[in-house]
Amino acid sequence: MMRTFRGGLLIGLAVAVLVAALAITYEFYDTRTLKRTVRRGEVLCGVNKGLPGFSIPDDKGNWTGFDVDFCRAVASAIFDDPNKAKFVPLDASERFKELQSRKVDILSRNSTWSMKRELDYDLYFPAVAYYDGEGFMVPRSRNKETSLDLADSKVCVQSGTTTLLNLADYFKANNMKYELVKFDKLEDVVKAYDTGKCDTLTADVSQLYALRLNLSKPGDHMILPDVISKEPLAPVVRQRDDDWMMIVKWTLYAMINAEELGVTSENIDEALKSKKPEVMRLVGTEGNYGEQLGLTKDWAVRIIRHVGNYGEMYERNIGEKSQLKIPRGMNQLWNAGGVQYAPPMR
Amino acid sequence: MTDFRRLTGTLLAAMGLILSAPQAFAQQPDRGDEPGLIADDSYQLDPEWQKQVVYYRTTEAPGTIIISTAERHLYLVQPGGRAIRYGIGVGRDGFQWQGLVNITNKKEWPDWTPPPEMIQRQPYLPRFMAGGPGNPLGARAMYLGTTVYRIHGTNRPDTIGTKVSSGCFRLVNNDVADLYDRVPIGTKVVIRQKPEL
Repeated sequence: MMRTFRGGLLIGLAVAVLVAALAITYEFYDTRTLKRTVRRGEVLCGVNKGLPGFSIPDDKGNWTGFDVDFCRAVASAIFDDPNKAKFVPLDASERFKELQSRKVDILSRNSTWSMKRELDYDLYFPAVAYYDGEGFMVPRSRNKETSLDLADSKVCVQSGTTTLLNLADYFKANNMKYELVKFDKLEDVVKAYDTGKCDTLTADVSQLYALRLNLSKPGDHMILPDVISKEPLAPVVRQRDDDWMMIVKWTLYAMINAEELGVTSENIDEALKSKKPEVMRLVGTEGNYGEQLGLTKDWAVRIIRHVGNYGEMYERNIGEKSQLKIPRGMNQLWNAGGVQYAPPMR
Repeated sequence: MTDFRRLTGTLLAAMGLILSAPQAFAQQPDRGDEPGLIADDSYQLDPEWQKQVVYYRTTEAPGTIIISTAERHLYLVQPGGRAIRYGIGVGRDGFQWQGLVNITNKKEWPDWTPPPEMIQRQPYLPRFMAGGPGNPLGARAMYLGTTVYRIHGTNRPDTIGTKVSSGCFRLVNNDVADLYDRVPIGTKVVIRQKPEL
């Protein structure tokens, strides 16, 4: 009698321990980010420590920027609350490893989408949020309209960068001569340009607009419209987590489609009454795309209400309404002069 | 400038065919028109409205004008995926239109004969005003198809970037003169409106 009871107890305990161990293992190794995010009650966003226009905290710790807002859009889609995005500043060198090791749910940190990065770190870049690329800043007085007019320029550039390599390739391919003025530190590059030691400055276009703000006479300089390299900036997620990847991807596409359809944070209530099929599918008055994503019918409405459409996010943070004033350029919609293009929601 | 009136009849028919014509008629006076005010040419436009060369991808041929009323920008398409972008003032709500037209005439320092519909809405406007710096049409005018609408200058540079007109597109005088010298009669003009919900 006693033996059977003790035996039963042992077996029961063993089963309990096994179940607990399984549960813990499951919890720990569950790769479904959406589930973990919902359980936690917030989205962990890996962001840049401080890049004006893209992600920067003020002295009270309030984050603003294009990358920050995109993460808020993801949080809005899930929780109907943009404040459920928590920002984790990450260094450039560690960002991909920290995403891989689940320190964050998503990287929204001005990262260039490249094949090697997807392969090396088992990551996935769902969609291009911002088309960046190397460009040129010149004094307005030089009266240049395109980068093909830059023959015989004195070009200031940071050494040891791909920027330098692209520059060499571009001038060689177009049979243009130039004089290199190299510095190790970016601040020295800018200082040299500002003091007239060179008459051209090259860097990624988004960076050129930021650097221009710190020149002694910003208005005397212009950034040429041409871009000579591909730097598609995109959010990043882990591979083999398709549900999460779909949410991140379609959050961005919903914002781009909203702009194309004329749906904004200001007219979203009107849009809910629209009888246009494309608008109805976006706002969830037709179809069940939201539920299929594992979210709610009004997932896109939540995004647009809290963060706005793509154009609103752009203008507020880096566009004409911001300090940077970067023209839409390539990031204008495909039917309005740019290349931003979202697959249809149907 | 009597052709303004003569054209009104044909205009209505033509607009029905190619344009989505203004539907609402606002009651408030046109804040953008201030006949007699001398243009302040030293007025500094916001960078967004300053003339600049931008990246612009389009299948339209170089030399085409593309007007985006929602953006308040006029693009003159250039070769190589670029355009010269000017800031403009556009029609107020209910006075925006879209379509494809050509530039049919060009005038320097144009006279102004406000069309009858405009007089009806804004009876205080002059029936005729000779061209000059106080004229709301400004330094240049380019006629759009057979419509009463023009791409023109302004004596109110502060209205660039806003929606105040009766359907015309206005640029500051320096910009309209620059554009005028770049586009011949016959230039294709595409006017794009924001999508409706």
